[in-house]
Amino acid sequence: MNTKLRLKIIEMIMRSREGHIPSSFSIVDIIEYLYSNVLKFDPKNPKNPNRDYFILSKGHGAAALYSVLNKHKILNEKHINLYGNKKGVLGGHPDMTKVPGAEASTGSLGHGFPTAVGLALGLRILNKKNKVFILLGDGECHEGTIWEAANIANNLRLGNLCAIVDWNGSAKQLMPRDELLKKWKAFGWKSNLMDGHSNDSMKKKLRGLKFNLNGSPNLLLAKTTKGKGVSFLEGHGTWHHKIPNENELKLIMKELTK
Amino acid sequence: MKKLRNIFAETMLDLGKKDKKLVVMVGDISHGILKPFAKKFPNRYYNIGICESAMVNMAAGLSKVGLNPVVHTIAPFLIERAYEQIKLDFGYQKLDINLVSVGGSFDYSKLGCSHHCYNDVSILSHFKRCSIVLPGSENEFRILFKQIYKKKNINYFRLPEFSHNYKFNNKDIKFGKSIKVKSGRDVTIAVTGTQLKNVIEAEKLLKKNNISTEILYFHTIKPFDYESVKKSLKKTKRLISIEELSAHDGLYNSCIKASIGINNLKTDQIAVNDFVHTYGSYEDLCHSVGLTKENIFKRIKILVRKK
Repeated sequence: MNTKLRLKIIEMIMRSREGHIPSSFSIVDIIEYLYSNVLKFDPKNPKNPNRDYFILSKGHGAAALYSVLNKHKILNEKHINLYGNKKGVLGGHPDMTKVPGAEASTGSLGHGFPTAVGLALGLRILNKKNKVFILLGDGECHEGTIWEAANIANNLRLGNLCAIVDWNGSAKQLMPRDELLKKWKAFGWKSNLMDGHSNDSMKKKLRGLKFNLNGSPNLLLAKTTKGKGVSFLEGHGTWHHKIPNENELKLIMKELTK
Repeated sequence: MKKLRNIFAETMLDLGKKDKKLVVMVGDISHGILKPFAKKFPNRYYNIGICESAMVNMAAGLSKVGLNPVVHTIAPFLIERAYEQIKLDFGYQKLDINLVSVGGSFDYSKLGCSHHCYNDVSILSHFKRCSIVLPGSENEFRILFKQIYKKKNINYFRLPEFSHNYKFNNKDIKFGKSIKVKSGRDVTIAVTGTQLKNVIEAEKLLKKNNISTEILYFHTIKPFDYESVKKSLKKTKRLISIEELSAHDGLYNSCIKASIGINNLKTDQIAVNDFVHTYGSYEDLCHSVGLTKENIFKRIKILVRKK
C-alpha cells in the first residue's frame, strides 16, 4: 500500500476542498504499479510518440493519477500545489488539453474506454508497438458504451490493449448481479483476477500478459477496497465525495501514518 | 445523376490513395458502395456495427495517434445519439473528426421519426470548433470535403438523399462562403441544401408577379457568411430562410445575427418546427412542413407587402 501517495492525495484534496478520496485510494496502488513497473514513458516529454498510453477512464479518481504523475516527475510540486486553483491546471477530473501526462479528459463515465479502443486500433493501423492501458470503474461498467467498445475490441482482436477494472464493489451495491469476470470473458477478453493493492499479485498477472497486435484484448479485474488504507473511509457510505473536517482529518492522518 | 452517398464513397477512394492517414468507420451503412475502398485499404476501413456512440468515441483514439478519422452513418444516430461523444471527446478534448451523415431531416421519409434528424445542425452549431457543411450537389461535396477534412476540427458533412440539381461553377464553391444564385431587389431568400430546388421553382412564380428575388445559397452553415447576408439585406430589407432544419439555431438565426443594425427589416422562416409524423415520399413530408414552391411563393408575397 502506497502511504506517501495517499498522504499526497489527502494534502491536495484538503487544500482545494475538492476530490474523491475513497475512489482515489481504491486505484492509487494500481496506477503506481503501472508507472513504476510496466509503462514506457518519458517524464521530460509526456507526449513522446513511443510511450505506452494510460487512460484513467474513471476520471473522478484524478487525485490518484496526479499523485503518481507527481512521483514520476511528470507533474511538479507547483502543479500539485495548485490543484483546484484557477492558477493551476489540475482539477477534480483531468483535462488532457492542460495536464501533462493525462491522455483523456475523463469524468463522464464510459468515455475513456472507447477512446482506448480507438487508440489501440490506431496504433495497429500504424503498425506501432505501443501498449494501451485503461483503468475503469466497476460502476462505470454499467455504461452501455463499455460493452459496445468491449465487443468491438474483441472483434477487432486488439491484443495491444489491457483494461483494468477497479472492482471495489461500487457496481454491486447498485446492481447485485455483478459477475464481472464472467461478463468480460463472455465478451472474449482474456480475463484474470488480481489484487489491486498487492504488488506481488499485480506483478504476477501483468507479467503474464501477452500484447499481440492481433490477439485477444486483456482484462484484469482488480479486487480493491474503496477508501483502502483508512478504516472509516472504506466501503460505500457517505465518503464518496466528502471532504473531511478537522477531527476526521486527524483520524485519517493517524491511520495513514501509524 | 449520382447520389451524394456514392460521391462520398468515390471521394474516400480517391483521397485514400493519397492520404495514408485517412481511416473510414461506418455504422453498418453504405458498406456496399464503400467496397472498393475496403478492398483497397482493408487496414483503414471498419464496419464497426450498431454501436454509434462507441464508434464516434473510438475516433478520438484514432485522432490522438495522428490519423484522420471519417465516421459515417445515419444522422440521428451519428449526431443526436453520439452527441455527448462529439461534445466531450472532440469539443472538450480538441481532437479532430470528420462526421459524414446521410438521412438528415426526413430523407428516410417512410421510416418515421426515429430515422429523422432535424436538430443536427442546430446542436452542432454550439461548438466553436465545428464546421457544418450541407453539400447539395456532387461537386459541392467533392470540393468542400477536400478543402477541409484535414482541418483540426469537428467537420460535419450532411449528405442529402436528393440533390438540388443546380450546377455551380466549381470556382464559386468555397468553404464558408455563400453562393449568390440570383441577384434581386425585393427579397433575400437564404436557402440551404436540397431546398434550393423549390426556391428556384418559386422564383419563377415570383418573377411572373413582378417580385424580384435575391437568392443566397449556403452549403456552409458554420462558419457562416454573415457579410453576404448583410449586404443583401441592406438592399432588400426582406428576409426569408428556407431550410429543412430545426427552426432553432439554423440558417434563419445566422441570417438574423447578420442583420443586426439593419432597420425596418421584415423576416420569415420556413423550417421544421417539431417532429414530422407523416409517412410518405420526401415531397410529401416537405409539403407537410410547408417546404413547397407554392408555399414559398405565398409567404414571400406576404413578406414583400409588409410595411
